[in-house]
Amino acid sequence: MLYGYGGYILRINLESGRIKREKSDPAYMLKVIGGRGLNATRMHEELRRDVEPLSPENMLMLAVGPLTGTLLPASAYTTISGKSPLTGILGDSAAGGHFGPELKQAGYDQVIITGRSKEPCYLLITNDNVELRDASHLWGQDIWKTTAAIRKELGDNAAQIAAIGPAGENLVKFATVACNNSRMFGRTGMGCLFGSKNLKAVVIRGKGRIKVADSLKYAELCRKLEQDILTHPEYSQRNQMGSTMLMTALNNIGILPTNHFQKGVCDYVDQISGETLEKKYKVKNKACFNCNIHCSRYFVTDGYEGEGPEYETLCSYTSRIGNNDLNFALKATTFLNRMGLDSLSSGETIGWATECIERGLLSKDDFDGLDFKWGNTPVIEKILDMIVYRKGIGNAFAEGTRSLARRFGKGTDKYAFHIKGLDMICGDPRGIKAFGLTYAIASRGGDHLRAEPFFELTQLYDEAERRWGIREIADRLAVKGKAILVEYTERLALLTDCMTMCKNIGLSMDVMNPDFASQLLIAGTGLRFTPEQVNNALRGIIERDRLMNIDFGITASDDTLPYRFVHEPLTDGASKGHTVPIEQMVQEYYKAKGWNEQGIPQRPVEK
Amino acid sequence: MIFVDPGKCSGCSRCEVSCSFFHTGMVGRSSARIKIVKIEGTGIDFPVVCQHCKERYCTKCPQNAIEIGKLGQIIISPTLCTACYLCEQLCPIGAIELYEDIPFVCDLCGGDPQCVQACTLGAITYEPDKLEPIELKVFKTKNKKLTPEQKRVRFALASTKQLREKWLSGRN
Repeated sequence: MLYGYGGYILRINLESGRIKREKSDPAYMLKVIGGRGLNATRMHEELRRDVEPLSPENMLMLAVGPLTGTLLPASAYTTISGKSPLTGILGDSAAGGHFGPELKQAGYDQVIITGRSKEPCYLLITNDNVELRDASHLWGQDIWKTTAAIRKELGDNAAQIAAIGPAGENLVKFATVACNNSRMFGRTGMGCLFGSKNLKAVVIRGKGRIKVADSLKYAELCRKLEQDILTHPEYSQRNQMGSTMLMTALNNIGILPTNHFQKGVCDYVDQISGETLEKKYKVKNKACFNCNIHCSRYFVTDGYEGEGPEYETLCSYTSRIGNNDLNFALKATTFLNRMGLDSLSSGETIGWATECIERGLLSKDDFDGLDFKWGNTPVIEKILDMIVYRKGIGNAFAEGTRSLARRFGKGTDKYAFHIKGLDMICGDPRGIKAFGLTYAIASRGGDHLRAEPFFELTQLYDEAERRWGIREIADRLAVKGKAILVEYTERLALLTDCMTMCKNIGLSMDVMNPDFASQLLIAGTGLRFTPEQVNNALRGIIERDRLMNIDFGITASDDTLPYRFVHEPLTDGASKGHTVPIEQMVQEYYKAKGWNEQGIPQRPVEK
Repeated sequence: MIFVDPGKCSGCSRCEVSCSFFHTGMVGRSSARIKIVKIEGTGIDFPVVCQHCKERYCTKCPQNAIEIGKLGQIIISPTLCTACYLCEQLCPIGAIELYEDIPFVCDLCGGDPQCVQACTLGAITYEPDKLEPIELKVFKTKNKKLTPEQKRVRFALASTKQLREKWLSGRN
């Protein structure tokens, strides 16, 4: 038996209804670790490159890490991958909650879904028993209702469910999948893939148990990690506010996206901050499986309640679109969670439309009479509904900002803040240079989680010198050494994704490192995950991802940032006057990777 | 006995994980003696564990395999137990459940409950000298056809009514 791992891979063809169970191969796992690495490698090996994202041949994969569902804190994530309908390149998205451990307890490391079901269906996995069930009666229902209905149908409240809402059914390109109602597989449109396969939900009931190879050693390592988390200087802040603490923090360093990145400082941040959210609406903490941070929160307002929101959603529906009404942001969060719509991508379409009208490039007549203005919440509500159901101009919005800007032309693409088709996250890169580089090179597009180079925010200059020999790495405004930092944290971020752990633990809190991860993997799985083995695996995965993206049409010219961040300095706040010299940084990054000037990996990739 | 405060519980399941790991060396909800019930849509997370109820329904074991220990905990004799599932049926709140023919119920870890140590929010506390067994008679009605999980949900819902009311009355 395999320790740590679930031990099986499940292959399901929705067209033929064929279900196949394979044993997980330890030698293969040594090469891919699990989670994102496992999914991406499968895709590299099995997906014909010219397959259209919405065609039945596209793969839809769910995977968990080797230590998910064990004593290890914060390892509860699941990664869903496939060729992204939003970007046309490698797509994946991860979410925490309680779904991943359930999949592991059912005995699986990965579920690979291909084909398209004739009728709406859901996949029910109860340990060894796997079946496809009719979901016609659930089609059209929102995520919360779907989840409740399936639990009722099964008579089992403990079933874990990843489901889509109407946005996924209507093939909105940035539709999400959700588990535990509010845990979103948000980015790159994995909900759209579910919809394209007529798959309403994946339902798991796992009654098995997970054993690790060396229980004593493993418990000792986990205890150390727990202590490091509990004694971390940011612990109480993270416990109280979770990622929403970033509203104030990013505003203080002048990089809180305000009015669609026109400013990095928001005058009314106190009205929309994590502190205010906590004080006014939070009733208690929520948490992912076996995490001791409990960073999520349950809110109750007059009319709405639910889990969240996290920083990216909060910012996307407040300062980024010029809205100072926190209550509205919570209402929007609830709507997005129910319908299954990505907050970042939907928020960017709104920000883009507002800026285009403000600049006189487009008018409300271009948008079915919707007069986008900063913080015009009734219009925002309308467009969200129109996107979900692809009504009127909402049909164009549902294709994403890149497509919108192409459709309208007139120079509006200058204000479409996406990279490789994926809308940018909420952090102005002009004041965090290594993050800027991360957005530019991230293999799924405009995203920080591919490297999360947190160290540039620490101001720990001596430590930076000790670790990398470059003091400037600890200075967020410096350029020097940032390629080195990103090259390193990109591997650490991938390792976190392969172990399907939380990025807070894997990176931001600086409590993990490759050697410690190697010890955990060895004690957990009993396989020879030496630091060298792990490092080789990570480099291999990154190069395969890159080669796959090159096959999908990505070139060095796509490794860049939108115009504003390179050419227009910030006008206010603690990052005033800064831009990102992205071309130089990308070249330094290629060099650090050992790639050529076109960003093409040079060494032969291990098969 | 063990006391739970659902107002503090985040539903992280660390109690389940520690319980299962330190008793069996493996992690899985099936072999946890404390089980979190999550009622999604209401924000309720509620750890269900043996309440040392006044009635002690489970002691009606036909094999006499169940006795009450010094701490008030349930002790099941593995040699006498024939896995007849009667204790599982008798428990009104789903605090006993068999897994692979072994009954799992809280044994208080001999006086040092691992779940309490694992809970970093203070939602589960252990007070050895404080005994406040409650009556579970109300949960005995119409529960013949319920699974242990369904019984836990019913108990959790009933036990968190006030908490929900408090949340809803204080909303902004």
